[in-house]
Amino acid sequence: MAWWNTFFDADHRTTIRGVVYGILGAAILLLLFWDLTDRKPPEDDKTHIRYWHIVGSENDVPYTVRKFNQIQDSIVVHATPIPWQEHEKKILTAVLSGNPPDVVSQFVPVVRWASRKALLPLDDLIAASAFDTTIFFPALWNEVTWQGRPYALPVNTASYAFFYNKDLFEEAGLDPENPPRTWNDVRQYARQLLEVDADGKILQAGFLPGFSGSHQGLLGNMSIAALIAWQKGVDYLSGDGATVTMNAPELIEGVQWTIDYYKDYDLAEVQAFIGGLGTGDQHGFVTNKLAMLVLDMSFLDLISQYRPEMNFGVTEIPSFEGDPTVSMAGSWWLGMPRGVQHPEAAWAFMQFYVQKDIQLEEIASRDDPLFPANIHAAYDSSFISKPLVDVFVRQMEFAHSPTVVPLVHGLFWREFYGALERSVRGEQSPEDAFQQAEATVQSALDRAVSYDRYVQSRMKDLN
Amino acid sequence: MSLYYSLCQYDVLRIPQYIGLENYRELLFEDPYFGISIWNTLVYTILRVPLAIGGSLILAILANQAVRGIKFFRTVYFLPSIITGVVLSVIWMWMFNPQIGLVNTALGWIGLPGPLWLQSTAWSKPGIALMSLWGVGGARMIVFIAALQGIPSSLYESVEIDGGGWWARFWHVTVPMLSPVIFLWSVLEIIFSFQVFTEAYVMTKGGPLDSTLFYNLYLYFKAFDDYEMGYASAMAWILLVITLAVTLLQFKLGKHWVHYTGGAPE
Repeated sequence: MAWWNTFFDADHRTTIRGVVYGILGAAILLLLFWDLTDRKPPEDDKTHIRYWHIVGSENDVPYTVRKFNQIQDSIVVHATPIPWQEHEKKILTAVLSGNPPDVVSQFVPVVRWASRKALLPLDDLIAASAFDTTIFFPALWNEVTWQGRPYALPVNTASYAFFYNKDLFEEAGLDPENPPRTWNDVRQYARQLLEVDADGKILQAGFLPGFSGSHQGLLGNMSIAALIAWQKGVDYLSGDGATVTMNAPELIEGVQWTIDYYKDYDLAEVQAFIGGLGTGDQHGFVTNKLAMLVLDMSFLDLISQYRPEMNFGVTEIPSFEGDPTVSMAGSWWLGMPRGVQHPEAAWAFMQFYVQKDIQLEEIASRDDPLFPANIHAAYDSSFISKPLVDVFVRQMEFAHSPTVVPLVHGLFWREFYGALERSVRGEQSPEDAFQQAEATVQSALDRAVSYDRYVQSRMKDLN
Repeated sequence: MSLYYSLCQYDVLRIPQYIGLENYRELLFEDPYFGISIWNTLVYTILRVPLAIGGSLILAILANQAVRGIKFFRTVYFLPSIITGVVLSVIWMWMFNPQIGLVNTALGWIGLPGPLWLQSTAWSKPGIALMSLWGVGGARMIVFIAALQGIPSSLYESVEIDGGGWWARFWHVTVPMLSPVIFLWSVLEIIFSFQVFTEAYVMTKGGPLDSTLFYNLYLYFKAFDDYEMGYASAMAWILLVITLAVTLLQFKLGKHWVHYTGGAPE
């Protein structure tokens, strides 16, 4: 009998199985308890900081991190890419655990975190380093400020403008070099651009307020009613931050314009039409189905990717006669979570990130288009002289932050779009719809304010 | 912990503030979306559960025939059910597309005008309930097949001797013999339906006009959009109580229609 037959007899097999399972079990336990993410930095005289950024088009170390680590030798930045769906929860969990990264990059409204003390205020560091805060577009600086204190540095933004299809303009007998200047022009032009078949099915639309060409819903994206309200000077929140106004005449005017606009159309047909539009190369604007829309600068990239030969123009967002143009801009920002280990080193990295030259170099290093938060970078000839970019730069001067009621930001916009939809579908008058929304938001704001006072009195060390 | 938080104002990032039953009072008596989301979830459950169980039962009976290659067909029917969640929702978004979607194109072939589906307040809930047909060949079908194979053929033979046709075989033998399994699935499916979330989150975000604002979607908005963790915890507890009550009611009613061959379990 060969030796392996004795080796693999029934008794031995049980023993071998036991050993294999033992090794597997031990390996699993080891993996479970082995902290793979948070290894100790090398022991040298440098300061090692951790930077959590969102996974971009590439998973490698961002240009700014490589450059920063190159040009100085006292601080080392370790960058960790995190999928955007997980980013917010991961950072907040890290803050709660008391072991957060030193710097994070995010695009949720800063005040959503700042108002809950998840970020470190930067005013002391700014004062100590005489950092010039006027290098940012004012709307973006407002966006990172909560109760007079800055909590982050804006890095990039999405600037919005008005896109129109020159070929469709010509086919409809409109002058392609003379885009609409007012909202009433837009309505007039859209009537000329509309194409409907014998059954009433929309084949081509001029403009659909609230719709940006790739969303399933009717009023999901950039709300023209909100833009008109800002152009008219609406103020949603009282100075003390405790009273919200949504049933405001400025906003009702914008909503009424939207309602009147859709009276020219069969709403069910509009919805069916919107449902037929897609994304990417099927985007309504790219496929000549929608002639005009308000979108951000990254859309230029989508057009050049899918239809580089397209004949289109970009102009200022329209307004009513005598009103200023207005745009909306939120920001990508860098901040330091509460409980940060190396605030000085983190601050050095953050300052470096928003310098004009670095912003321009980062833009040049990426495939996807970025809009710098630094005004001097935006007005630099290497950026503003790119085709059509100047419109977006000028539009930033008139931008508003979408964070209008910081403590209940998410609810405010859910209620806003809900009331807008009820008004446009004729379920309620605009006044009733926005009065109802106002009551809901106010009730939540009251709760948030009273909770805020309670926390302030109990958590003094966080102020 | 969650029970305690349900009595607090709490945003995760800061300390909880005890406010007693305030969250429950607000939910039950003031919050309009609480009623809307309960109603939406209830309608969805009523539409979905019979569709899901009936569909699986019919498919199981078909897949239980002694036909050549039946194992292949069972596998084919099972395959769609391994696709779930977000991917499934995206597929259905295109199927429900009013102008170019598969569903309305198919309705067009038989001369029916297709509704706006996810963009219509009347059709959004039935549409999402219809999606459950996608998974009829999944676990439910497998369990039904197993149960069907456990029915003694002598029972069918006695129906034949009495001169009964296919309907008599189905109604007097198959259904009573399967009733414990049908009961099991109706309990489980109602619980699953109460938890509907992904479809609405991916496809409609609760719209149009809050017609797909399901309970768990609203709970999600409260917890992760508004950071009102205390409020969301209270919602979770209310859902638990509702689920428990409905399940107990089913067990009570089950006594009247569920047939246990070996006598009812105590």
